[in-house]
Amino acid sequence: MLAIENCRLTWPDFVADYSLTVEAGSLCAVIGPSGGGKTTLLHMIAGFETPQSGRLTFNGQNLLPLEPAKRPVAIVFQDHNLFPHLTVTQNVGLGLRPSLRLTDQEKTLIESTLDAVGLKGFDTRRPGEMSGGQRQRVALARALVSGRPLILLDEPFSSLDPGLRRDMILLVDALRRRRAVTILMTIHTPEDAADVADRMAFIADGRVAASGPPAAILHGSLAPRIAAAVSNT
Amino acid sequence: MTTLKLPHPGSLAALAILGLVAGGFIALASFDGGAPPLPSIGPYLGRVLAFTVGQAALSTLLSLALGIGLALALARRSFPGRGVVLAALSTTMVMPTIVAVFAVFAVYGRSGWFAELLAFLGWKGSFSIFGYPGILIAHVFLNAPFVARITLDGLNQIPTEHWRLAAAFGFTPGQIFRHLDWPVLRAELPGIAGLIFLMCFKSFAIVLALGGGPSRSTLEVAIFEALKVDLDFGRVAWLALIQLAICLSLTTLMHWAFTRPPVGHTIRSLVRRPDAKNRRLMLVDAVVLAAGALFLAPLALSVLTGLRNIPDVVDADLLRAFGTSMTIAMAAAFIACVLAVALASAARRRRLVLRSPRMAALYDVLPDALLAMPPFALTAGLFLLIQRFGDPSAAGFILLPLINGLAAVPFTYRYVAPRLLTAEERYGRVAASLGLAGWSKFTIMDWPVLKRPLAAGFALAMALSFGDFGIIALFGGTELVTLPYLLYERLGAYRLDEASAVGLVIVLVAFLLSHLSGRWSDARD
Repeated sequence: MLAIENCRLTWPDFVADYSLTVEAGSLCAVIGPSGGGKTTLLHMIAGFETPQSGRLTFNGQNLLPLEPAKRPVAIVFQDHNLFPHLTVTQNVGLGLRPSLRLTDQEKTLIESTLDAVGLKGFDTRRPGEMSGGQRQRVALARALVSGRPLILLDEPFSSLDPGLRRDMILLVDALRRRRAVTILMTIHTPEDAADVADRMAFIADGRVAASGPPAAILHGSLAPRIAAAVSNT
Repeated sequence: MTTLKLPHPGSLAALAILGLVAGGFIALASFDGGAPPLPSIGPYLGRVLAFTVGQAALSTLLSLALGIGLALALARRSFPGRGVVLAALSTTMVMPTIVAVFAVFAVYGRSGWFAELLAFLGWKGSFSIFGYPGILIAHVFLNAPFVARITLDGLNQIPTEHWRLAAAFGFTPGQIFRHLDWPVLRAELPGIAGLIFLMCFKSFAIVLALGGGPSRSTLEVAIFEALKVDLDFGRVAWLALIQLAICLSLTTLMHWAFTRPPVGHTIRSLVRRPDAKNRRLMLVDAVVLAAGALFLAPLALSVLTGLRNIPDVVDADLLRAFGTSMTIAMAAAFIACVLAVALASAARRRRLVLRSPRMAALYDVLPDALLAMPPFALTAGLFLLIQRFGDPSAAGFILLPLINGLAAVPFTYRYVAPRLLTAEERYGRVAASLGLAGWSKFTIMDWPVLKRPLAAGFALAMALSFGDFGIIALFGGTELVTLPYLLYERLGAYRLDEASAVGLVIVLVAFLLSHLSGRWSDARD
């Protein structure tokens, strides 16, 4: 279980104070207006931002003293996930070994993971030769291959068109069930994940304003604010 | 009835440039019964060529080594005064070469600071900076900061996501270099190296003043000597042709290698580099920054010593030279801007309206090809033409702005061309549907987006021309004196105090102009 208790971060013009729990093996969709603190939450869990106070644990392990590389966390950004000078296999391989000295066993693992995200035979391609959706699949494969149990997806499919976006979210859902990983995903259009997410958290002004089953969040008292957040950006 | 259709101003500009260069060469080669056969100057030419290439290659290597080291160290570190250092690094791009010569004399000359320091430490020998040492010091002083600045801009383009990934994967400093820094360096280096090699290959003022004898001259200096000392136009034609061939091959190569336009200002990526904490790199960076500071700071500061001597040099001569330099610089900048706008709009028309990218590419190459132009040979050729058809005593006043203007076109073009393309892409269809064409299209569609970059280009061209010590070496004398020429005279007479004051005036004007240029090009329209 991922447990965030009163994690507080302050900037001159912004204060965030997060509290949220996510069950292990579940998929939690994070929604809310842009600038409300969704990405900051993910960056804090990954270790790019350090809260001044509060507790952050995953399955009982305290994450706060750990460097980003030592956390049981993998992250996928909206863009720039891949190094343009490396092949698909090498980009995925970075999730296993930054030195890229891969064993045969690891190469097989990469191949089967690429297969799982629907990129069979793409091993020697470079990012420049692929579509935006394919590149995000590579990033997803890398997160899976690293074997880290918590995967953070920061608006991973927002730059894809709606049909493709829905396919990718279904893929994420299928993969997390098969591999039993926990997923925290910020998304722009809540409907995309309404039926696959176990939980939805609405974040605004640096706080988790509400969290619960998607139906309760989307049709509850917050519905007007959610609609406003989606249409505004 | 058919109406006579005027050619596009860009075609006229291109024709004028090509015509001037061709006319100059023909005049040179046909003077006094034509050029002598090449083998007659073979051994001499071989020596000059070997020295030209040798010093250019060494200067390039040293500039790259120091510049890249500084860029990486500055990218990894933040310290108080870092902003000042970055600003100072950009200034050497417009530091006039003749002022760099002064700085080398002031620091490493016979009675310079370095000699004083050695004497203070009890060393009684003597050393000479003439030849390779002086030339290399001056070239590295001018170019290493440029390398550092461009490379740092490139490193700052690395997406912040990549730094976060590096932290998330736990990259070692070696892996960070391999996956983040090196791809940037590999993309930037061929272009930068080519440009520096070209500048050092064509180096004139530095080699003339610091070469220390005819055995150490670049092609450019050899051309100058053939003109000024021997009046051997045939030899000039050969030397210039060889220089043109080599430089043209280089610029053509570079044109394809150097595609990313240099970025004006730097936004420090908000993410701290994960390798900043590495102990060994801290040591390396400290050593590199200290070495860079020890080498660059005295040279840069030596110019400031001129401050206390300024009252001694302000006289009618100085004011007249200042006025002459200003007038020439403004005329040169005007020529450079008009040519750049004409060429860029022709390139745009070919690319977007007539859909012929190959012809457009030719227009794009022409400004860069001007970097290859041998100014002395062109000047000599045009001088012969003027002599044939008019009053040669006025030649300097015509040729100085013209040659300086042509030399500045590659820079003004870079300011102008991208904006013109954007304007056409955004408003071209609207303009076409409204029937805007020619002058009205220029004033309504282009001018609003063009005026700021054009002002920036104008100021930069002025800065370059104002500090230039090139063909003024041919025309300078009682009739025609520019500030750089005045500085050269004082240096030649070993009057370093007066030279320092003149140098400071030149540098201040050049920096002020380039500062204005930077502000205008940064501002949003």
